[in-house]
Amino acid sequence: MSGEQDRLLGHADEADGIDEYDNKLPAWWVGLFIGCIIFAVGYGLDRHFLRPTSEALEYDAEVAAAPKAASVEASITPEAVAAGKEVFMTNCVACHGADLHGGIGPNLTDETWIHGGKLTDIVTTITNGVAAKGMPTWGPVLGPKKIADVAAFVHEQGGGQ
Amino acid sequence: MTETPTATPDYDDQTVRNFVVATITWGMVGMLVGAILALQLAWWPANLGLPWTSFGRLRPLHTNAVIFAFTGNALFAGIYYSLQRLLKTRLWSDKLSTVHFWGWQAIIVSAAVTLPLGYTEGKEYAELIWPIDLAIAVVWLAFAANFFGTVAIRKVKHLYVAIWFYMSMVITITVLHVVNNLAMPASLTRSYPVFAGLTDALVQWWYGHNAVGFLLTTPILGLMYYFLPRAAERPVYSYRLSIVHFWGLVFLYIWAGPHHLLYSALPDWAQTLGMVFSIMLIAPSWGGMLNGLLTLRGAWDKVRVDPVLKFFVVGITFYGMSTFEGPMMSIRSVNALSHYTDWTIAHVHEGALGWVGMTIFGMLYWMVPRLWNRPLHSVPMATTHFWLATVGIVLYIVAMWTAGVTQGLMWRATDAEGLLRYPNFIDTVVALNPFYWIRLIGGLMYLTGMIMLAWNVFKTATAPLNNQAPAGTAKEVA
Repeated sequence: MSGEQDRLLGHADEADGIDEYDNKLPAWWVGLFIGCIIFAVGYGLDRHFLRPTSEALEYDAEVAAAPKAASVEASITPEAVAAGKEVFMTNCVACHGADLHGGIGPNLTDETWIHGGKLTDIVTTITNGVAAKGMPTWGPVLGPKKIADVAAFVHEQGGGQ
Repeated sequence: MTETPTATPDYDDQTVRNFVVATITWGMVGMLVGAILALQLAWWPANLGLPWTSFGRLRPLHTNAVIFAFTGNALFAGIYYSLQRLLKTRLWSDKLSTVHFWGWQAIIVSAAVTLPLGYTEGKEYAELIWPIDLAIAVVWLAFAANFFGTVAIRKVKHLYVAIWFYMSMVITITVLHVVNNLAMPASLTRSYPVFAGLTDALVQWWYGHNAVGFLLTTPILGLMYYFLPRAAERPVYSYRLSIVHFWGLVFLYIWAGPHHLLYSALPDWAQTLGMVFSIMLIAPSWGGMLNGLLTLRGAWDKVRVDPVLKFFVVGITFYGMSTFEGPMMSIRSVNALSHYTDWTIAHVHEGALGWVGMTIFGMLYWMVPRLWNRPLHSVPMATTHFWLATVGIVLYIVAMWTAGVTQGLMWRATDAEGLLRYPNFIDTVVALNPFYWIRLIGGLMYLTGMIMLAWNVFKTATAPLNNQAPAGTAKEVA
């Protein structure tokens, strides 16, 4: 705020009485402007030429780095059935009913196994879902441990093969 | 309204008064619909179970009403008022002024009918069906002709900075509207865009982003450059700064649209372009803020007593905030958290309620006493409006920031096994509900202020004419 500061241009009569100073651009503002331009050019060069990457590659790297659930061999044990019952009552009752007699989803207690009644079949059905019938894909939601447990529970309740 | 004499009878102030009345009328409608939507998000039964009142149909009604009806009419009022005085000439064509005013209102009414009925092109901020799009193009060109006609018959040589900003709007909005709405009609209410898939998305956000730039930013800056120094009675801080930030703004803005499509199918290089041009926009945007705030040097004592200047100061401050936040949100890693959350809603309302709304209110409180040649009915009421609106915006924005960050973090939260911690979307909806109620309270405060403005203007315009008083200012009745 010194020197050339606050020199009026003197054309107020041509702007409804509004006069204007011709003050210098604030130095920090010029610095900000130039800094942003340097960042813009640098970022573009870095991302696409110097260390080229893409959102697809970044996604793959993130997935590779993310914690993985250990795969679980499903087996019918009293502990698995008990834990599976809890999982069932939280996630499955809405469609299959508390007594497993079905509703929106099919009855799980009769002799008919639409998608296979072996323990491994049941695990596959729960993990991948049945999109056409409205059964959600539970794999990414429950994870292998809970799916193994609930499969054991359903297998026992329904008299699976 | 018709019997009111004006200080300089040569100017067409009747058209300006008409646009002022339309601004206030549609402003109340647009903000009321906004409050209804806020209620619907907090309490779903407010959808009433009817298709016409459901969120999906009322939402475009709200956005179109506040952008094109409230802000649109306010821009026309402010531009026509200042243009005549800056160029010392009456508007070029009375016929075009009439076509412009009534045409624009007819478009708004047709939007208010077709949107709740479900007629839409499905493009954000460009929902209106093709016959209305055509009408907009015709009326806009009438405005453009009237604008440039007035510039052509001007009685001064110099074009004041405000007029450059107005010009950038007139030209750019014409191009944006026409290109984004290019479509092949299939029936009176249905059409297919000429662009397909990703190209259509990119054109849409080139339009959407620059509608914000050239309808809600540059012309409002133009209004600031006229009404702020007039109200503060101070010279503009820097002519040089206004030139540099004007050209910086109009050149850089137009490239930043792809930041709306980060982490989409848009090619990576195009996303980068959108991001870096957004970053480069910070300084040109802040140039406007600086020129506004520094113009008030030596006038801060007036800010304390004059609600007009109070509105301008808060408006410019929100402009500075949202033009910093916008570039931050266009950074890939920030966008990964903010995109599709209420953070975006906070950001746009910082601009709409803070920058656009407050600047328009300041402009109206300054212009209305002069347009109707009467002192403002109540200055304390205007000051109350100011505080209600300011606190309302803060409540609104803080609630939506919190909601946005909460939802973004819940979406990405995983447990030790890499499984989603909140696999059900409803978990996030339940978590956000309290913030939706706070947002509603903030919105209702803002709407209440708007109604107080309407009452204040109505009482001012219908007060007995006092021929002794010169064009009233806020201070004279304080």
